[in-house]
Amino acid sequence: MSSHAIRAGTKQVRPILSTDRHEARQRVLNLYKAWYRQLPYIVKQYDIPKSVDSLKQKLREEFRKNDHLQDIRVIDMLVVKGQMELKETVNFWKQKGTFMSYFKDTVEPKPKDFLSKFLSGHN
Amino acid sequence: MASLLLRSGALKKCPNLKWSIASLSTTSSRLSDDVSKAVKQKEAPQITHDTALLNPEEIEQRKRLQGYITVDAQSNVAPITGQPEEHVKGRLVRIYEPAKNAMQSGTDNTGHWEMDFDTRERWENPLMGWCSSGDPLSNMKVQFSSKEEAIRHCEKNGWEWYIQESSFEKPFKPKSYGVNFSWNKRTRVSTK
Amino acid sequence: MASLLRQLARTVRPSLVRNGVCSTSVLYKHTESTEAPGETRPTVRKPDLLARSQLKDFGKYVAECLPKYIQKVQITAGDELELLIVPEGVLPVLQFLKDHHNAQFANITDITALDVPSREYRFELVYNLLSLRFNSRIRVKTYTDELTPIDSACDIYKGANWYEREVWDMYGVFFANHPDLRRILTDYGFEGHPQRKDFPLSGYVEVRYDDEKKRVVVEPLELAQEFRRFELSAPWEQFPNFRNAPPAAEEIKVEEKK
Repeated sequence: MSSHAIRAGTKQVRPILSTDRHEARQRVLNLYKAWYRQLPYIVKQYDIPKSVDSLKQKLREEFRKNDHLQDIRVIDMLVVKGQMELKETVNFWKQKGTFMSYFKDTVEPKPKDFLSKFLSGHN
Repeated sequence: MASLLLRSGALKKCPNLKWSIASLSTTSSRLSDDVSKAVKQKEAPQITHDTALLNPEEIEQRKRLQGYITVDAQSNVAPITGQPEEHVKGRLVRIYEPAKNAMQSGTDNTGHWEMDFDTRERWENPLMGWCSSGDPLSNMKVQFSSKEEAIRHCEKNGWEWYIQESSFEKPFKPKSYGVNFSWNKRTRVSTK
Repeated sequence: MASLLRQLARTVRPSLVRNGVCSTSVLYKHTESTEAPGETRPTVRKPDLLARSQLKDFGKYVAECLPKYIQKVQITAGDELELLIVPEGVLPVLQFLKDHHNAQFANITDITALDVPSREYRFELVYNLLSLRFNSRIRVKTYTDELTPIDSACDIYKGANWYEREVWDMYGVFFANHPDLRRILTDYGFEGHPQRKDFPLSGYVEVRYDDEKKRVVVEPLELAQEFRRFELSAPWEQFPNFRNAPPAAEEIKVEEKK
C-alpha cells in the first residue's frame, strides 16, 4: 500500500521549538534580522578590522551554508545555537579573537589537487 | 494546617474552643460536614500563573508542542554536532570486528564491533623527531555491540562508511580424511 | 491560627508525632553490622538487607503510583534505588518525588548524562535526588538523543538550572522551557559537545596568540606529538573470582494492576 511506503520513510517525534516548516522559516528569518541589526554595533564594540559590508556578506554565507536542510528539528537546533551565539556577542562575553574565529583568516587552505600536494611534500 | 488539627483530635481535648470544623477549613470551597454532599462537591479549577495571561493562539501553540510532528526516518545531525566539515565530508569510516590477538588465546576483548577513521599523514617533528599529526580523529574508536548499530550511527552523523569483512564469520567447510585419496580432486595428497 | 496553635501545643504534641509518620515510608538509618572480631582481610561490601528491602518496598510503591511513566525499577548492588522512566514523564515523576508526602525528595543532588553511541537514544539522563526528611536517595533515569528535547526541571527544582546547562554544553541535550540555556563550561566560540564519545580528546581546534594580528586566533589542530592510544583491554577475563558476583542492578518486579 502506498500509505505504508510513505510511513516507512518517516517517524513521529517530539518537536523542539517549531511544529511546521513555516514556523521554522520564520524563526530563521528572525534570527537573521537580529544578527543583521547587531552588525554595526559589533564593528564598533569589538574594534575588528572588517567593514559592516563584509560582515553582512559573512552572515549571508553562514546562513546559506545550511539552506539545504529539511529536518525541522535540525533547523530548530541551529536556530537555538545561533541565538546563543548572538547573546554572547551582544553582551560582549566574547572577545575579539573569539569573534574573529568566524572568518578563519589565519587558516591556510590545504592543497587539494595532486600537484600542489606533491610540491608541498604531502602524499 | 486545618486538616492536621482536625486529625489529631486535639479539639476534643480543649473544650473551651467553640469553633466548628467548617470555620477551620482552609480550602477555597465550603465542604459540608455531610459526607454524601461533600463527595459530590468539586473544587474550582486552578488557574496557573503561566497560562492565565496567554492568548488563545499561544495556548494552541503550547498544545501543539505537546504533540508529535512527522520527520524523515533517517535524521542527519551532522550540522549540529559541531564537528568541522572537513572531518564529516572527507572522511571514510571503517566498521570492523576487532580480531583476537594472534599471540595469545584470550578472547575477552573481542566480540564487539568498532568504528575507526581513515589514517591521515603523520610526519616527523623537525625539532625533536616526534611523530606529529594534524588529525584529531587519529585515535578515535567508538565501540558498538552490533554492525547495524555502527551503521546507524555513521548514517546519523553523515560519515561515509564501509564494513571490513569479519574474520569470525568465515563459513566452516567440513572435511573428511577420504578427500586425501580422491582420484580427481585437488585435495589428493600424493600420487603414490 | 497562631493563637490556636499556641493553645493546642501542649496537649497535641505527643499525638502529632504518632500521626504524622506514615508506616510505608519510614526509612531509618540502619547501623552497619559489625565485623567479626579478628577479621583482617579486606572484605567485599555486605549488602544492607534491611535498607534493601525498604527501598524495594518504596520502589514498588512509586511504580504503583506512577505506572504510566515508570518502565523499570531496579536496585543496584550498592543498595541504591533507580527508576527508569520515559522521557515524557520527567516532570510528573520529579514533581511526585518532590511533593508526595511519603517521598519528599526535596533536594536535587545531581543531573548528569551518559553517552552510549550504540543505542538509538544515545544519551541517558540521570537525576539524583535526596530526601532529608527520610534520609534516603533515589535515582531517576531517562533516555534521549541529539534531537529530542527534554522538559526542564527548573520549575520543580531551582538547583537544576546549572546542571541542565552543563548537560546541554557537554552533550547537546536540549532542555525545553529552561529559563537560560547557554554554555557553562566551554569557551564562548566553542563548537562541539566535548563529553560525547565521538568527540576526540584533543578537540578539533587549537588556540594561540598571533603577533601579526595582535589577537587570539583559532586554527585547526596540529599536535607536535600525536596522542598515542594504548589498547588497555586485556584478552583474558579480568575478575575470575567474581563470576558469581551479584549483578550490577537487580530488577524489582512490580505486579501490574488489572
